[in-house]
Amino acid sequence: MDGPVKKKKMVISQETMDVDFVRKVEMLSDTSVRRCFQCGKCSAGCPMATFMEHPPNRVVRLLQLGQWQRILAGRSIWYCASCETCSTRCPNKVHLASIMDALRKLSWDAEGASKESYVQLANKLFLQNIRSYGRQYEMRLAAVFNVKSGQFLKDLMLGPKLFAKGKLKMFHSKNKNMAEIEKIFGRIEEMRKNGEAL
Amino acid sequence: MTSDKALTYAYFPGCSLHASAGEYDLSTRELFKALEIGLTEVPDWFCCGATPAHNVDELLSLSLCAKNLELAEAVEGDLAVACASCFSRLKFTQHTLGENATKRQQVEKAIDAPVKLEGNVKHLLEILARDLGLERLAASVQKPLSGLKVACYYGCLLTRPTDVPNLDCVEAPTIMEQVIESVGAETVAWTHRLECCGANFTLSRPGVVIQLTNAILDAAKAAGADCIMVGCPLCHGNLDIRQKEIEGVFGANYNLPVFYLTQLVGLAVGLDSARLGLEAMIVNPLPLLKSKGFL
Repeated sequence: MDGPVKKKKMVISQETMDVDFVRKVEMLSDTSVRRCFQCGKCSAGCPMATFMEHPPNRVVRLLQLGQWQRILAGRSIWYCASCETCSTRCPNKVHLASIMDALRKLSWDAEGASKESYVQLANKLFLQNIRSYGRQYEMRLAAVFNVKSGQFLKDLMLGPKLFAKGKLKMFHSKNKNMAEIEKIFGRIEEMRKNGEAL
Repeated sequence: MTSDKALTYAYFPGCSLHASAGEYDLSTRELFKALEIGLTEVPDWFCCGATPAHNVDELLSLSLCAKNLELAEAVEGDLAVACASCFSRLKFTQHTLGENATKRQQVEKAIDAPVKLEGNVKHLLEILARDLGLERLAASVQKPLSGLKVACYYGCLLTRPTDVPNLDCVEAPTIMEQVIESVGAETVAWTHRLECCGANFTLSRPGVVIQLTNAILDAAKAAGADCIMVGCPLCHGNLDIRQKEIEGVFGANYNLPVFYLTQLVGLAVGLDSARLGLEAMIVNPLPLLKSKGFL
């Protein structure tokens, strides 16, 4: 991608319409973007639309036009709260929340096309925790997030209060069946390497 | 479920109940004991992946949940889930793998076992309202919560999307109101029962969370509620832990205790308040409970 793609004038042609990408989105989300007739109910009910440069209905419209680079270049997909309101209200059964999942997955595969870093960092740390410990340990998650995002003081005032209430645990144990979780992560990586899964 | 058969469940607490939502875990165990409902924790359960996993890697999310469903098979009874997020992910997995043969094949390869989709996954609300039944629940009440005005907050994942959790109507559910009214409390009609609190951004974008959560607290207060009741540790975290901060930012005064459903129902069936984890709540509920004569 060269230059800030979202500011460029949209040109729709055989070259800019990447149908392969849209097919991947449809396969991962098990839904068809062509069913959307732009009624806008998804965006009307979306609690996060005000934080997005492309509200949900426009994300689908851009997919219909094969303009996925514009979506990935922005922050919209990372500001989706996964509240499922859009999927619930769509009159055409377009599973928009699942489309958002697919777009985030493909954005990760495209390696950091989006500028939204905090949400991505939180997701990465969450998944690493599962692989390393089997479960989430909130204190570790929050502490590592603050260090890695450079926000050492974020929510610092909450810490002592939560500690006093027994809501933050200093120590934790690992699952006994950790080898199994590692195998699941490993098998999925293997399947992707062999082209058996997206 | 016949009424003379003893109810017994496999229990999936989820990560939050072992840490920040310890009072939800405690009050669930105590309430079920009091109601003579069996509860056996699934041994060595894994994190369900929650929102972060399906956000960027659906295959991983489905595999983690399928593995948990397999682990749950070892324990007798339907799977009782306390956390709305774990509940949603487990139900999503059953739904998706039942509909999509390709994804099912991939998941079976990832967990190296056939997936088990037959078991029932139930949120605690369903167990109280349907398996035990509202009549039996009402019959267990020792201390009716008369005069307590409760705002029932569902959030996102207990009901949405259509056809997945199948807990209740997606746009106008009543199961929480039914449960708490059956133990004597009043419920308020309010606007934000099903709005999102932004739990997904608790770590990454707290600025977003306080805006969404403020709207919910504001609506509950405007409706005349004394307190809020939830069935999700993530909603609870935002509504309770961040309430003071939100009051400061928005210049508001809410002072709304946020109870887990098991704490309020537990109080009504006569459990000792020391066994409900009330002291772990950030917004102190004791003045309210004393003023209503429940303590």
